[in-house]
Amino acid sequence: MKFWRKGKPGGEPTRIFYASDIHGSEPTYRKFLNAAKFYDVDALVFGGDLMGKLLVPVVRDGNGSWVASLQGTVRHLESPEELAAFTARLDTLGFYWFECEPDEYRTYEGNQERIDGKFDELAKHRLAEWVTLAEERLAGSHVRVYLCGGNDDTDQVLTALDEMPEDRAVHCENRVIDLDDAHTMVTIGYSTPTPWLTPRERSEEDIAAEIERVMADVSDPTRCVFNFHCPPLDSSLDTCMKLDASVWPPAPILVNRQPVYYGGGSQAVTDALERYQPLVGLHGHIHESRGSVTFGRTPAYNPGSEYGEGVLRGVIVAIRDQEVVGQQFTSG
Amino acid sequence: MAEAAITQPQVFTRRASGLVRVMSPYSAFIYNILTMGIIFPWTFLWAPAAFQGSNLILGIVFAFVFELPIALAYAWLATALPRSGGDYVFQSRVFGGGFGFTIVFAFFVVWILQWVALSGWLMAALGLAPTFFGLAAATHVHAFASIGTWCASSNGIIVISILNAFVSLVLLVSGFRNYVRFQYVMWYGILLSFGFVLLLFLTTNPTAFHAHINAFAQAVDGVKNFFGQARAAAATAGVNFHPPFYLFGTLMVAPIAWTSLQWATYSVEQGGEIKNAHVFRNQMFILVGSLAATAGLLILLAAVMNHGVGHDGVLVASSGYWLGNSKALIGGGFMVPNLMAMALTGSWIVILLIGFGFILNSFQIVCNCYIGCTRIMVAQGLDGLLPDWFSRVHPRWKTPVNAHVAYFLAAVPVIIAYNKVAGWSTKWALGVTFANGCVFVFSALAAALLPYRAKKLYEASPGAKYKVGNTPLVTILGAIGFATAVFMVGAFLVVKNLGLAYANGKVPYYVVAGTVALGLVIYAVMRAVKARRGIRVEYAFAEIPPE
Repeated sequence: MKFWRKGKPGGEPTRIFYASDIHGSEPTYRKFLNAAKFYDVDALVFGGDLMGKLLVPVVRDGNGSWVASLQGTVRHLESPEELAAFTARLDTLGFYWFECEPDEYRTYEGNQERIDGKFDELAKHRLAEWVTLAEERLAGSHVRVYLCGGNDDTDQVLTALDEMPEDRAVHCENRVIDLDDAHTMVTIGYSTPTPWLTPRERSEEDIAAEIERVMADVSDPTRCVFNFHCPPLDSSLDTCMKLDASVWPPAPILVNRQPVYYGGGSQAVTDALERYQPLVGLHGHIHESRGSVTFGRTPAYNPGSEYGEGVLRGVIVAIRDQEVVGQQFTSG
Repeated sequence: MAEAAITQPQVFTRRASGLVRVMSPYSAFIYNILTMGIIFPWTFLWAPAAFQGSNLILGIVFAFVFELPIALAYAWLATALPRSGGDYVFQSRVFGGGFGFTIVFAFFVVWILQWVALSGWLMAALGLAPTFFGLAAATHVHAFASIGTWCASSNGIIVISILNAFVSLVLLVSGFRNYVRFQYVMWYGILLSFGFVLLLFLTTNPTAFHAHINAFAQAVDGVKNFFGQARAAAATAGVNFHPPFYLFGTLMVAPIAWTSLQWATYSVEQGGEIKNAHVFRNQMFILVGSLAATAGLLILLAAVMNHGVGHDGVLVASSGYWLGNSKALIGGGFMVPNLMAMALTGSWIVILLIGFGFILNSFQIVCNCYIGCTRIMVAQGLDGLLPDWFSRVHPRWKTPVNAHVAYFLAAVPVIIAYNKVAGWSTKWALGVTFANGCVFVFSALAAALLPYRAKKLYEASPGAKYKVGNTPLVTILGAIGFATAVFMVGAFLVVKNLGLAYANGKVPYYVVAGTVALGLVIYAVMRAVKARRGIRVEYAFAEIPPE
């Protein structure tokens, strides 16, 4: 197969498309799959945070219409067409939704456990559909899509990645993947603790230990791609507002009416990039911190995320031998 | 039993991280007003003598009406694409990367270097010189007049301009939040200053003004009967003090006033840093609200100047700027509105407060040159159309230090040339009026075509629901805005007393064309370099179909 001759010295580079943090957005995920053909790349690498963040109940009102809230506005949907347009908008935004009667709706009010259960049910269903879609779209090509969770995803939902036969869609987390016959990739989806108390946060020590564990199976780090959801600490790929975790939802900390910024990344990731000098670091997590930085010989990228607008932000990285020979940020 | 209806269902959330942005809509609103520069003197110094018989107030109203559809169309663009890089992102998305890069690089990044020089001139000639002249008149300490004269000299302007640009560089490199914090000081400073100017004009009359300006000029230059001499010289230079109403001239005031009002949309360059930038009413407040507020303040200033300084006074001041009437200069500087207001008060405190506001606004102008252009350079660097070096963010200060330093270094020779090269301001610098205007022309067109050239993006935007019949409202507004912007840019291109045609030669046109050629060459080179590495830069802008 052509792909397996790529990436070697003197040959054509292997081209990877990386994106992250699409948070349930249906059109953004579909764009991600189509990026393989559109950008003519050899592998699609996802950096974590597959799950959406909001669940919108669409309540039947008994008169053939529906009522729902979105972005602070109550929407009265008078026809199936209006309902379809509204739910399509929710899909774009990455929100989950379900139709219900008023009595059913009331069973969710104030019951976070039941809400979380519904989230998991709908998110797992959507993820399973996405895996199936990946198998369909990439069938017959040499391209694989490498999927993993981020700190916002629950382990329960991520089981959908393991319950499907791996052909084109591969669950790549916490193990070593052969990208081609010259390059490997390791993936870690955890983040350091956040004010949002998300499902898959780990201490610096735990992340460092996880990196050590997975790197034990990598023979040549200089040909290895680091797909770490959490960016390196204080690297400019992790700049975000400091939030007050004592209130819910966490609010920006203001000094003289101005927000305070800090690095929301991981020191363990920084240490790993500096110590192993891998081929490239691919990171997400901090949506607003799009950019690139280098650690010695190693470039690290965070393409950012604008999933809510249906925009797929990503980066194409061309690798050959022990070198990144080209890169291009995209906004598709 | 029927179930009770749910009138306001909740949206359920789970524990997941969120995204927050820096700049409040109110800060962006202030930013635009300060960028539009209510202190800009050109409407009052340039138009009266260049288009004698024109009505300034009506001309400003025309400029507002012409800019309104452009600002409205930008509200659609800014909510559909709330990203830093603004015009570059809009045009790249709608017309393609080569076009977007070339237009915005040539007409903004290159030409706004002239604005860095202009902001230094504003700081020296509009802020510092009049303040020192005012202090000389109020305190009778002649050393202040000497300092003011130095500030208005070419060497003084160069030194002040470079310092102005350097201090701005340091402030912005130290962190954008420091700028946003200081912006409030600038905002309240200019409001206080502008308020005093309006009040002083409102509480005087032309006869009293003549006496005050005579005393002021005598204190600064030792000249007696300054206004009488300046008026006589203005008449000799070609000023008709009783011209009939001139409708075409009034229409031509609009492009001059537009050099201020066109900046109502400048906040889009840092759309990625504005909180809730995707919310329609926020962008209407930021873009259209700031436009209306600034137009109102300019109209108010024109009205109170007519009341306090009088028609003759306005023409005499303008003759000093436009007709080279040296008798209408005080301390070598022009009779700018704030200097005339300072002449009306004997209080050094009021003089300092007026001067402080104008100095602060001049400083803000150079800041917004950096802010807008460095964001564009970062966006272009990330897209691979400028070297990566420009897009690097400093790990400690979290700001694009390289882009800031590059822009400062590029501005220094422009500052020197602006003040030392003969004819620069008429042969070279006036291209900025045409060049900057062109960016707005093409962005208005991008707005008109957005529903057709970026269909999915448009349909996901909040403005998509507004239609007239089957035609998207943004298409109608963008088309009208395109037409009005073409009218004003066309005026800069061909009308003798405006922009490029003033120099009586082809040099300004070649300069503008040269900047476009530079943009095209850079695009072609970067495209070829990327292609050699297996990357196509077109990928940066192409929208992937979801199906």
